[in-house]
Amino acid sequence: MAWRALAAFAALATLPALPGLPTYYLLLAFDALLFGAIAMSLDLLMGYTGLVSFGHAAFYGLGAYATAILLERGVLSVWACLGAALVVVGLYAAIVSYFATARRGIYFALLTLIFAEVVYTFFRYTQTFGGSDGIQGLPDALLWRGVAIDTPRRKYYLVLVYLAAAYAICRVVVTSHFGRVLVAIRENEDRARFLGYNVQRYKMAACMISALLTGTAGAIYPIRSAFATPDLMLWTESGEFIISVMIGGLGTLVGPILGGAFFTILRDKASSFVDWYFIVIGGVLVLIVLFMPAGLLGVRRLVGFRQWRHGA
Amino acid sequence: MAARGVVLEVDSVSKSFGALAALSRVGFAVSEGQVFSVIGPNGAGKSTLFNVVSGLYAPSAGRVTFRGHEIAGWPPERINRLGIAKTFQITNIFPAISVRENVRVAAQSRAPESGRLASLWRSADVEARVTELLEPFGLATRRDEPAQNLSHGEQRYLEICLALATEPTLLLLDEPTAGMTPGETKDATALIRRIALQRGLTVLLIEHDMSVVMGISDRVAVLHFGEKIAEGTPEAIRSDPRVIEAYLGGAED
Repeated sequence: MAWRALAAFAALATLPALPGLPTYYLLLAFDALLFGAIAMSLDLLMGYTGLVSFGHAAFYGLGAYATAILLERGVLSVWACLGAALVVVGLYAAIVSYFATARRGIYFALLTLIFAEVVYTFFRYTQTFGGSDGIQGLPDALLWRGVAIDTPRRKYYLVLVYLAAAYAICRVVVTSHFGRVLVAIRENEDRARFLGYNVQRYKMAACMISALLTGTAGAIYPIRSAFATPDLMLWTESGEFIISVMIGGLGTLVGPILGGAFFTILRDKASSFVDWYFIVIGGVLVLIVLFMPAGLLGVRRLVGFRQWRHGA
Repeated sequence: MAARGVVLEVDSVSKSFGALAALSRVGFAVSEGQVFSVIGPNGAGKSTLFNVVSGLYAPSAGRVTFRGHEIAGWPPERINRLGIAKTFQITNIFPAISVRENVRVAAQSRAPESGRLASLWRSADVEARVTELLEPFGLATRRDEPAQNLSHGEQRYLEICLALATEPTLLLLDEPTAGMTPGETKDATALIRRIALQRGLTVLLIEHDMSVVMGISDRVAVLHFGEKIAEGTPEAIRSDPRVIEAYLGGAED
């Protein structure tokens, strides 16, 4: 697994070296990998813990605003942006996850959604942060003094490094003691309690990890786009994260990365050809759900339970 | 009652659901190393009693004391950490993961990493313990099978394995042989007795099947409509007229 992951990241690292690759595609690759990373973070909750969050857009958007607000005020260090995003998203996620995990089933989804809508509404109507226009025209961030993340290639490598780090974290977490408990909670929450596990604590911790990874992805986004808008926090965004996880395959980590990338590229291609591209996307998704209900990568799991057996 | 070596004391416990009194002033004491059985017809309150002891319900009144701790009203995970493990009447396992993973997640609950930050990146080596738990139940060869593919009898055994994996000193067994054939029941009963002896376990058993109870119990209490109507040795219970009237006298199941 580790070898294959290394090979995949090495291949991705050579992408900018492709002769004649238009900048447009490099930025599309950025978006695809970023979306994939978010879907993977959400998979920790959906695929491993069995919790469906309808509020991940808020973690993403808060991370984006943290960066945007700092860049706008002339704090250009990437590290400061990431640090601020982690603090803001961490505080918010602690509150959301505490309340959301106190309830079971549909209530978790509803509470995450409601909290996210509150955050969306706050940024949508607060003129200090640009209201519905958000914060536009941001300067380039600095990796360190004198090194700006100003070219598409540098931006691409930033997201690639983030994805690799996030993947490594998720992989370690799901194969750890903690990850096994998450799966046990997904499979049978009550029994997990009777084995001595404080289920709510584990769910909260899973939420926090997922939220912080998503918030970091959010913090990276304005470095590429030079803006942050309240639309990043809209519930449809959360829905697209969920769809990406489903397309890729629950509980596989790699699957949701592919799912997120696939969704991003499909949306981009479809929207460049026709105005009613959502119908095209919808049609493709229906086909996937009908013919690959376990997702792009989930098929393997149905066949042999390989990942459980070789989980260690 | 002998106060020496009492592990679990249930003291006039009542539990009502609305107007329904599922348990009224039930009390008994279980001594170290005993196999203590609670019997009674369906609806007598046996499972409610278990749910109170294991932490699913808080009692409406009364006290439950385990090794000096007043545990009534504690959440299940806390009670489990104190050394009480429960098996379920309706098989309650982790269906889609392998038998090995089922027992592993239960066994690691007692690893030093459990509940610590390091559990995020570390994984306790419990492989040896998993094998040791699966072996006596004949599940070692089925370890890579998803738990849902096991036969009913095997799933009942896995259920006990999960409970034992948390290293309890008191094991609550809720009709462990439910749904087994008479032959399987006999084997299971002997196995439970042997394992309890080996591990020095105290066992609180709920049973329906009188042959199981009479074979392995040191002491038996009889519940009827939420009240304890008798308690004694299996022989005494067998000949107690109130018990015969309430339970044995009725249709044998």
